[in-house]
This record gives sequence, C-alpha cells and structure tokens, in this order.
Amino acid sequence: MKNLGFRPLRNVKTDALGDSILESMKQPPLSDEEAFSFAEFDPESAERGGYSGYSYWGSTLRAFFQNKIAVFFLIVMVTMLLFTFIQPYLPGQKDPLLIHNDEWGLPLNNVPPGEEFWMGTNSIGQDLWARIWAGTRTSLFIGFTVALVEAVVGILVGVLWGYVRKLDFFFTELYNVLDNIPQTLLLILISYVLRPGVSTIIFALSLTGWLGMARFIRNQIIIIRDRDYNLASRCLGIPTWRIILKNLLPYLVSVITMRMALAIPSAIGNEVFVTYIGIGLPVDTPSLGNLIQTGRSLMTVASLRYQLYFPVLVLVVITVSFYIIGNAFADAADPKNHVK
Amino acid sequence: MEQTKNVILSIQDLDVKFTLRSQVLHAIRGVSLDVYQGESLAIVGESGSGKSVFVKCMMGLLDANGYIDGGKILYNGQDLTKYKTDKDWLKIRGKEIAMVFQDPMTSLNPLKTIGKQLQEAVELHQGLHGQAAKKAVLEVLSDVGIDDPERRYKQYPHEFSGGMRQRVVIAIAIACRPKILICDEPTTALDVTIQAQILELIKAMQKKYNLTTIYITHDLGVVANVADRIAVMYAGDIVEVGSCDEVFYDPKHPYTWALLSSLPQLGVKGEDLYAIQGTPPNLFYEVHGDAFAPRNPKALKIDFVEKPPFFEVSPTHKARTWLLDPRAPKVEPPEHIRLLREKGVKIHV
Amino acid sequence: MTKYITKRVLHALFTMLIIITILFALLRMMPVEGYFENYDKMSATQVQVKLQSLGLTDPLYKQIVRFYGQLLHGDLGESNVYRKGVAITEIIGEKIPISIRLGLMALCISLALGLPLGIFMARSTRTKWKIGDKLGTVFIVLIQAMPSAVYHILIQFAGSQTHIGRDILGLPMLFDASNPKSYILPIISLSIGNIAYYAMWLRRYMVDEANKDYIRLARAKGVPNGKISRNHVFRNAFVPLVQYIPNSILFTLMGSLYVESLYSVPGMGCLLVTAIKRQDNTLVQALVLIYAVISILGLLFGDILMGIVDPRISFSKKEGAR
Repeated sequence: MKNLGFRPLRNVKTDALGDSILESMKQPPLSDEEAFSFAEFDPESAERGGYSGYSYWGSTLRAFFQNKIAVFFLIVMVTMLLFTFIQPYLPGQKDPLLIHNDEWGLPLNNVPPGEEFWMGTNSIGQDLWARIWAGTRTSLFIGFTVALVEAVVGILVGVLWGYVRKLDFFFTELYNVLDNIPQTLLLILISYVLRPGVSTIIFALSLTGWLGMARFIRNQIIIIRDRDYNLASRCLGIPTWRIILKNLLPYLVSVITMRMALAIPSAIGNEVFVTYIGIGLPVDTPSLGNLIQTGRSLMTVASLRYQLYFPVLVLVVITVSFYIIGNAFADAADPKNHVK
Repeated sequence: MEQTKNVILSIQDLDVKFTLRSQVLHAIRGVSLDVYQGESLAIVGESGSGKSVFVKCMMGLLDANGYIDGGKILYNGQDLTKYKTDKDWLKIRGKEIAMVFQDPMTSLNPLKTIGKQLQEAVELHQGLHGQAAKKAVLEVLSDVGIDDPERRYKQYPHEFSGGMRQRVVIAIAIACRPKILICDEPTTALDVTIQAQILELIKAMQKKYNLTTIYITHDLGVVANVADRIAVMYAGDIVEVGSCDEVFYDPKHPYTWALLSSLPQLGVKGEDLYAIQGTPPNLFYEVHGDAFAPRNPKALKIDFVEKPPFFEVSPTHKARTWLLDPRAPKVEPPEHIRLLREKGVKIHV
Repeated sequence: MTKYITKRVLHALFTMLIIITILFALLRMMPVEGYFENYDKMSATQVQVKLQSLGLTDPLYKQIVRFYGQLLHGDLGESNVYRKGVAITEIIGEKIPISIRLGLMALCISLALGLPLGIFMARSTRTKWKIGDKLGTVFIVLIQAMPSAVYHILIQFAGSQTHIGRDILGLPMLFDASNPKSYILPIISLSIGNIAYYAMWLRRYMVDEANKDYIRLARAKGVPNGKISRNHVFRNAFVPLVQYIPNSILFTLMGSLYVESLYSVPGMGCLLVTAIKRQDNTLVQALVLIYAVISILGLLFGDILMGIVDPRISFSKKEGAR
C-alpha cells in the first residue's frame, strides 16, 4: 500500500534505461541483432503511472497564491491589521477620548484633516485618526470573538449532532426552528432588552451564528460515516482518527476558516446597523459603527463630510478584504479547482 | 464483409493536448484511423488510454482545457479540426454524428419530461413541429422498445429505470438521424442482464437506419458481441487495428495479448488470474519508443528507443510493434491466447 | 405533493408557535420603563398599578394564555409611549401600505435586474476574457462584502449630496409620498442588495449546471448554445434559486428598517426603529412579532414554491436544507 500513487512525478528508471540504450546505440551503433534482442524487464519501472505528487495543502496554497487579487488583499489586510494594533504604540498618537482644546480653552471641534490631526477632529474635538483606529480595534474584536464563539460552539454541537445518532432528530428540529429566527431581529430584541454594550452585541450575534457552523459540521460528520471512500478507508482498517485527519480535516479547516473570515464583516455590519437604531455601543466606546453613524448625520454639510469618508473607507477596505480572502481561500481549497 | 469500403470518417495524425496544473498532457499522440461506412468499429483500451477524448474531438466536445495540436479529421470533405465556433459544429452534432453517453442516470435533464427532450431532437433534425413532432417521438420510443409511449412521453427521467433511460438516450440519438453513432461505454453503467438488451437494440437500430457505429469500451465481451473491426488503444495511440476475428484469434501486439489474457473467462480454475503488471505511463512526459514497453516482459531494446511503425499482417490487420519487424525474434503469444484460438469460442457477454 | 405542502405548513406553524413563545419570554424581560411615557415622574405605586392593569404582574402562565388569546383576536395591544392609548393594529394599518408598495417595487426591480445580470455573468464565463463576469463580480463583491448599512448611506449620499445626484437629477434626500423622484433612492437602496444576491447565486448555479452531463448531451444533440443557455441551463438553475426569493424578501424587510428611517419613509420599518428609540414596549413586541411571522411565512412559501417548480421533490424527502 505504500505506493498509493504518491510517488514523485519523475520516473528516472525507464528514462535511464532508454537513455542508456540510446547511448549505447550511438557509440558504436547497436547492430540490428543487439537492437532486436530482449531488454531486461524491470517490474518496478512498470509501476510508473501516477499523476501524483499531489499534496492537498500544496495545491490549495498554490491555487490561492495564483489568485493575484486575493494575494493583494491579503497583503492589504495583514498590513491593516498589524497597523491597527500597533498604532497606539507609535509616537505622536493621541488618545481617542481626549478632547483637544485650543489656546483659548475652546474645543478644537470639526477641524478638517491637516498636519496636526491627520483625519481631523469630530464635533467635540476628539482626534478622528485615533478614534478610527480605536474603533477598528473594537469592531474587529467583536468580529473575531463572534467568529470564534461561532466556531467553537458550532463545532461542538455539530460533532455531537452528527455522531450521536439518537440526538439527530432533536437537533434537526431545533435547527429548523432556530433557523427561522432572523438574526437581525434577535439582535435588535436582545440589544433592546439588555443594556447596549460590547458584550451584549457579542452575545446577541453569537446566539444564532453558530447554527450554520453546527449544521455544516454535522453534515461533514455524517459524511465520515457514509461516504464510500470513507467506508473504503474503514474497510482497509484505517482508524477513525486518521480518517478524520486525512479525509475530512483538510476540507473542514479550509471551510471553517472561510466561514470565520466571512463572519467578521457580517458582525461588523450588524454592529453598524444596531448602532444606527440606537441600541449599539455607547458613544464613548468608539467603534466603526458609531463613527459612521455620526458621520452620516453630518452628510449634508460639505465641509464636515470627511467625518463620514474616513470611517467608511476603513470599513470598506476591511470588509472587502475579508470577503475576498475568505472566498478565494474557499475556492482554492476546493479540489475541483486544483486542476489548473 | 457486407459493408462497402467507403471511408466515411478519416482521422490522420491527430494530436490532442490538455493543460493541466500548468503542465501539458499529451493525450492523443499522432493517431490515424479510418472509419468505413456502415461498419461497427470498436475502440478498446483501458481507462485513461484516450478513447473518450478521441471521439469527443469528432464532435467538438473536448473539455475547455483541451486543444487539438495537429492532424486532421476528414468528414464529408471537411476538416473538422478547423471547426472552432458553435455554428460550425452545429452542422455535425446530431445531424451527422450523434453520441450515446455512458451514464444514463445523469444523461437526461431531470427537470424536463422525456417527451420534451426527445421532441427537441426531432424538431431540430427532422424538421417537424407540434403534433407531427410528437408523433415522431412516439414512433421512436416504440422503436427503442419502450412500452406505452403515450404515457411515457409525459414522464420524467427519475421515473425510468437505468436500462430504460439508456433506451431513451439511444432514442434521442436516433431521432437526430445521424450517419455515425458513437456509443461511449453504453453498457458500463448498466446491469449485466440489461447490457445484452441494449447492445441488441443498438445493433437493430444500426441495421434499420443504416448507421455506422463506433463503440468505445474496455469490455472485450461487448466487443466480441458487436464489432466488425477492432482498434486497440493504449496511452493515446492506436497499437493494433483489425477485423474482429483477426484481433481476437491472431493478435500481434503484446498489449493486445495482455488485454485478451486478462479476460476472466480464460482463467483456469485454481490458478491466479492473469493481470498486466504495472500502470499506464504518465502522459505528462514524452514517451520514448513503444509506450507499452515498460510493462512488457518480452520487450526488445529497441522498444525503449524508437516508436514502432505499423506493420501490416493482412490488408485489414496491422499492429504497431517491433515484433513484426523481420529482424525481430519470434515471440509466441502467451498461453491464454492459444487457449482462445483452440476454444474457438466467441466470448459472449 | 399535497403531503409535502401540508408537512411544510405544519412545520411552519409549529415553528411559529415556538418563536412566538420565545419572543414573549424575551419581551417580558424588557425594561419596565417601556410601558410608560413618563416613567421618571411616576411613583413606585403608580408604576405598580399600571403594570397590574396591563396584566404584567400576573403569573407567567396566565400572561401567556392571555397573550395568545389576544393574538387570536387580532389584538396587538396598545401603544404606551409612541401614541398613547392607540390600538397598535390601527397604527400599523396606517404604516403598512407604503412599506408594501416600496417593497414590491424593490422586489420587481431586483428580479428584473438581478436575473439578467446573473445570466450575463454566467454566459461571460465562457468567453475568452470573461469581462462581463469580472465586472459583475466586482459589483457583487462590493455589495456583499460591505455591510448594507454602509452602502445605504453611500447611496443616499451619492444620490442626494453630489452634484450629479442633487443638482442634475434632482433627487431629494428624504422621502415624500407626493414626489415620485423621492421613490428612486429608497428603491435603489432596497433592491441593490438583492440584485447582487440573485446575480451571484444564479451565476453560480448556471455555471454548475453548464458542466452537467445532460447539458453535454444536449450539446451533442446539436442544440445551439443560445437555446441550451436559456432552455436548459437557466431553466434548471432557476429552480434552486427560487428558494432564495422569499429569503430575499426577508432581506428587504430587514433592510427596510434601515432604509425607511434613513429616508424618513413613514412605513413599518421606520415605525419599529422609532418604537425602539422611544422604548415603547408593546409596540416593539407587536412589530417584532409581525416581522417574525412574515419571515417564517416567507421561508414557507419558498419551500412550497420549490416543491411546485421541482418535479423531483414530491418523490423524495427534502431535508429542510436551505
């Protein structure tokens, strides 16, 4: 079983045989007798076939990096993430909550972008640059946490759901019911009932987010049991953990990462929405949501529009990057696309 | 032989390549073959030998990453390799050449009734519409042996069994009134009991509509049943061509020997079944010499170096092997082949 | 077929029951201030009395029974803050028509624009440069990636604040029933998400279909490409798409919350937002209920529609996969 086709592509043996014969034919040329005599038969070189050297992760990464656009956005996103977290430690940064006053003690509000304040200040004199990065941190934090909770709870429930046959019915019905609850509605309700805040949003979003993941994992688990190639693996005596590792994990990990990648823009979006309705984060916790909100309210005043542009720009870059990278990774991880 | 010796389709030095994972796969390596009007030609070979790719070229159905890199396909005075656009191929598909695919379960559109799918072919190729078209559909349904065509007309594919579906697929092909019918592994996906029926059906249709049939198969039993002539393919090249009798009883190429020896019916009780050692070559690489050489225990040194040309055994039988060269030593075909000769029995399905 | 429908309907009813009960439980946890318009001015006893009169101090099981009873009578209670003492059904009755009107228009436009876009993109994948596909993808990615809240703002901005929008096209920022031009931006906002959604899914399904065996057979039959695209690929791809249509009605509904308040459209969505801002508990409760019911109905119709359009469904068990 060791040669399940995973040998390196180059078959040296047959080539070598041919080459050596060719060589010997050249100097001096082989007589007809020689040429028409029997050659050694080497059973091993008969095994040459195999279009392999196929490695799942190798092909996935290759497919991903062939996608120039995805790579571009990956670079953008990584840079942005790094910067977001390094920013407070850079020299000359201002505190996002600090109200700046001018020499007469009056707040420097609505100052357009310039030397002192790279993105200007808001209506109460806070530095927009600092606020934006602080807001990004908050929003990303919410996004990551929700994605993480979704993944953990989702995987746990999914495994249980898939493995323990008796629970399948119960979970399926539960899923069908919960699936019908619109997430946004629940979000609104919960934010309305509990006090608005970072934990409330995380809680509300996580409540229904794990459903999709759980269902997906459960389907995969069932596939472990039921797909022919896994049954074949079991017949060959391959232990379950190895089946999971080699047959399922590659697919799972890539799709899980994709779902997580997409969960982040979704969480941020929900946060923006909820802030608009008024049950989002309080204003003293800067977040992309309330920054955009404030900016929006100033839309009509041309000179103040920068307060809208900047947060929107940052938001768009982040969400688009995550979306593209998530989708590109999912495409790359799909073996059907390993053909080119 | 009853058929006239008119060449209806002539393939000359065809080269087909695929781009796969940024490498080039040379799938068809300079193949030449003539197809005679009215005959039943079987193209035999193992999986991956290139048989399907070969016939797809004749209808312009190659996958997107495949292309013809040289050679000609001559039909009716036209070179089909020059056809690039849909419009060109519409002159051929269905009208001149029709195809029956391997898997009847997926060959039919699950969301359309059988009647509609058949009628589409009829309307396109017989020029009938409305009631006249429907009548033609019912006719062809009974032609292929489907009872109660009126009722069946309105049914969906999932209401048919595998064998019935294949009959429908054949009906669609016939309804196009082609000159050539290509059957790509028509019975592989079917039960053994149904296989014979389908083969009989195709033969009957061939007779009735005066078709030339090309069978693609890896099942020698099927071949023995239906073929007038056999072409053996290996690694993207044709290694032996001859009449059915010639190839079965007097094969000349070591690969054909190996293939015939693998027939389980030739197995002797208590002994190991014969199996060809090794696997087909990797066509990402240039093949030096005879492609079968590495797996051939009786290979000659020259087999590894130079590709053998076709040697004629008779006007209708030729094989690409250095063993037929006058300078080569005499090699007897293996035991199993002699058994075949002695038994003198055609292997039935 | 009828069996399938009945099964689905029962399922939906059951789900509705559960959801309503959950909602009910959640809403009982709402902050008490929401029942009064001037909570701070009331003394503790006054609060108690009012709560009692509203039946909120009774044991839970009593409340549930009363709640369902009221529902079955079509009584959604009274508003306590927004418009004190007015029956909620009356309030809603005023607001619904405009929401429905906008919603329907947006739905028609999304179908009219989204489907052709999807087809165009799918067709374009077969061309050499795939330009149509690439452009379309840029559009879809932008719309799908960006939170809808953001592009709603941008649309309003582009439409009413820029030179082209405001001065040349004369698009107003806020909605005004008497000004037909003011319908344009809200409808664009409502439909654009769905346009991207339909286009994306239709394209995906069509590309998948195009690789199927029976399409190859149709091609081998000699059916011209255009006909294959329309009669076979699109027809087949449309079937799974049908289940997304009610889903997108949901999107429109939810979106309308945001869009209506952005443009000050006096509809249901705006009402809910106001109810939340003003903390009118009974109103919030009633509205959320309605929205939940509509969502479930929407999904139910999606399943039924699928059953009608796909002949295979009556014969096989469909496992609630959406």
